[in-house]
Amino acid sequence: MKKLALFAIIVLIFGTISPSLANQAYGQNDPNILLRIAIQADKQIVNQLDKKYENEIPNNINILYEKGHRAVESLDKSLSYNDIEKAKQDFLSAMNSFMQISRIISQSSEKVIVVNVSQKSNQNLESKLDRLEKYVKTLESISQKHKIKQNDDNFTTVYSLIQDIRNQIKIDEDSSKNLNELQDLIKSIKNEIRNSIAEKQSNAIKIFFKKFLVQIDQKLMQAKDLGRDQIEIDNANELILEIRELLSKNQINDAKKVYSELKVVLKNIGISVKIT
Amino acid sequence: MVKVHLLVASMIIVASLLPIQSSFSSPRDLDLIIYPDGSTHVSAEIDVDPFLTDYEVNLFGSTIDNLVVIGDNGFLLDVDILYDTALIQTFGSSEITIEYDIHDLVSKQGRLWTFSLDSPSDFTLLLPKNSAIVGMTNLPLNMEIINEQNQLTLSSGSTEIDYFFSANSISNPIEEIKNEEDNSLNTIIAGIVGGIIAIALVSIIIIVRKRQKNVEVIDKTIDEIVTIQKNDTLDLETIFKLKPDLREDDKELVKFIFDNNGESLESELRKNFLQPRTTMWRAVKRLEREGIIEIEKKDLQNLVKLRKNMEEDN
Repeated sequence: MKKLALFAIIVLIFGTISPSLANQAYGQNDPNILLRIAIQADKQIVNQLDKKYENEIPNNINILYEKGHRAVESLDKSLSYNDIEKAKQDFLSAMNSFMQISRIISQSSEKVIVVNVSQKSNQNLESKLDRLEKYVKTLESISQKHKIKQNDDNFTTVYSLIQDIRNQIKIDEDSSKNLNELQDLIKSIKNEIRNSIAEKQSNAIKIFFKKFLVQIDQKLMQAKDLGRDQIEIDNANELILEIRELLSKNQINDAKKVYSELKVVLKNIGISVKIT
Repeated sequence: MVKVHLLVASMIIVASLLPIQSSFSSPRDLDLIIYPDGSTHVSAEIDVDPFLTDYEVNLFGSTIDNLVVIGDNGFLLDVDILYDTALIQTFGSSEITIEYDIHDLVSKQGRLWTFSLDSPSDFTLLLPKNSAIVGMTNLPLNMEIINEQNQLTLSSGSTEIDYFFSANSISNPIEEIKNEEDNSLNTIIAGIVGGIIAIALVSIIIIVRKRQKNVEVIDKTIDEIVTIQKNDTLDLETIFKLKPDLREDDKELVKFIFDNNGESLESELRKNFLQPRTTMWRAVKRLEREGIIEIEKKDLQNLVKLRKNMEEDN
C-alpha cells in the first residue's frame, strides 16, 4: 500500500508539472531555426540594399545593418557554445535591426514599386481562388462525413470550375462569369449540407434543450423559494412552455429565438443559464 | 499513513483542476495561412463548455469571409457576427472548429508586407511561397517547410513579422543548416523522460512481483483474452472486425496506413487528410489506445505503424 501510494505521488507530481515542462521543451526544440531565419533575413536585406542603394548605402542604414549582421554572427557563436539564452537575445536583436532597415527602405521606395495592375489583380484573384478552394474542401469534408450524395456532382463541377478559372487567369481572360457561377454553386452546396443534416441536428438540439429546460425549471423553483420577482418567474415559465411547444412542432429556429428572450428574463431573475 | 492519503488526495485535486483552468476560452489549436494577396485563413479548434447554449469568440478582425463553424458530429453551427465578435450557437457541442478568411492581419507598405497578431495561444503560420522574412518581434518555436512554404510555430502574445516577396526561393538556406548538436535542454528532457521510464519500469516490476504471487487467479483470466498474432501486419478486414466500434474517420486513417505498406509519418497523414496537427495527433493517440497502431520516432518525426498483433474488443 505504501509503495502504491508513493508511486501515485510520483506520477501525480510528474502529471502536474509535465505540461509546463513540455511547453518549455517544445519552445526550445531546435534553436538552430533561429540561425536559419536570421541568415535568411540577412541575405534578403543585403539583396534589398543592393537593389535600392547599390554602393551608396546611407550611414544610418549601414550602422543598423552592421548591428544586425554582428548579431547573426554572435547568434551562430552562441549556438555553438550552447548558450540558448544569449542566442535568443542575438536573434531578436538581429531581426529587430533588419526590421528597422526594411521599414526604412519600404517607406522611401514608392518609385521602386512597379506593380503591373493586371499582375496584381491576377494575384488577388488567385488568392481568392485559393481561399475558395480551401472553403470548398472544408464543406466537402462535412459533406463526406454526413454521406451527402447529392453534393458529389456539385463538388466535381466546383473543382472543374476552379481549374477553368485558373486557366483563364493564366491567359489573362475574364473569369468573372465562371467565378459567379462558382460562388453560387458553393452557396447551394452549403444549403444542401444544412438541409441534409437538419433533422439530425434538430434532434441533437432537442435532446440538449430537454435536459437544459429541466434544469431551468429546477432553478426557477429555487428562485421562487428565495422570493425572487414572481412576475419574471412567471414570464420565464411561459417562455419555457413556448419553447417546449415549438420543439414538439420541430420549429427549432423559433425555439432558439424564444430561448434568447428567456435568457434575458433569467438574467433579470439572477439565474445563470449554465446547466450542471 | 493518514498524511500520505491526504497528500495523494490533494495532489489529485490539483492535477484534476489544472486542465480545467486552461480547457476553455483559448484555442487549443490555431493555424494561419497567409495568401499572396495578404488575406489570411484562420483555422481554430476550441474546447467549449458543453453545458452552454452559445459561445462568444473574438475574431481577429472584422473583414471576414467564408466563415464556417463546425460542432460535434460535424454539424454546421449557426453564428451571429457583430463587428469582430462571433456568437456561436453551440447547443451542447464540446469542441468547435472555426474556419474563416480575414483581411485585417497583413498590411503592406511599398514592397514590405507586415503580419501582426496578438494571439491568445500558440499558433502556426504558413507564409506565402517565395516570401522572405526580414524581421520579426517574437521568437519562433519551430519552423518547417511545407510545399516550399515556410511554416513558423509561434508563441501566444503579440507578434509582428515583416516579409518581402523574392524572385529567388528562400528555402535553400533553411535546409543548408543542419542540427549540429543537442542542446542542454534536450538533455534535461531526455533525463526527465528517462526518469519517467525508470519509474514506470520500477512500478511494472513491483506489479509483476505482486502478480506472481497470484498466478492462479491470473491464469483463469488469461484464457479469456483473444490475442491474434501474425508475422505480418493484419489485414483491414480483420482489424475492423476486431475493432467494430472504430470511428469512420479513424477507419480511413487505418486504410491509408495499410495501403502505405503499414506505416506512415504523422505529417503525411496530416497532409493527406488536411487535418490540423492536434486533431491528427488525437486520432493517432486514439488508434494507439485501441492497440491498432504503434508510434515510433524517426528523424524527429512520429512514424505510425500498424501493429502486427491485436487484442479483440470484448
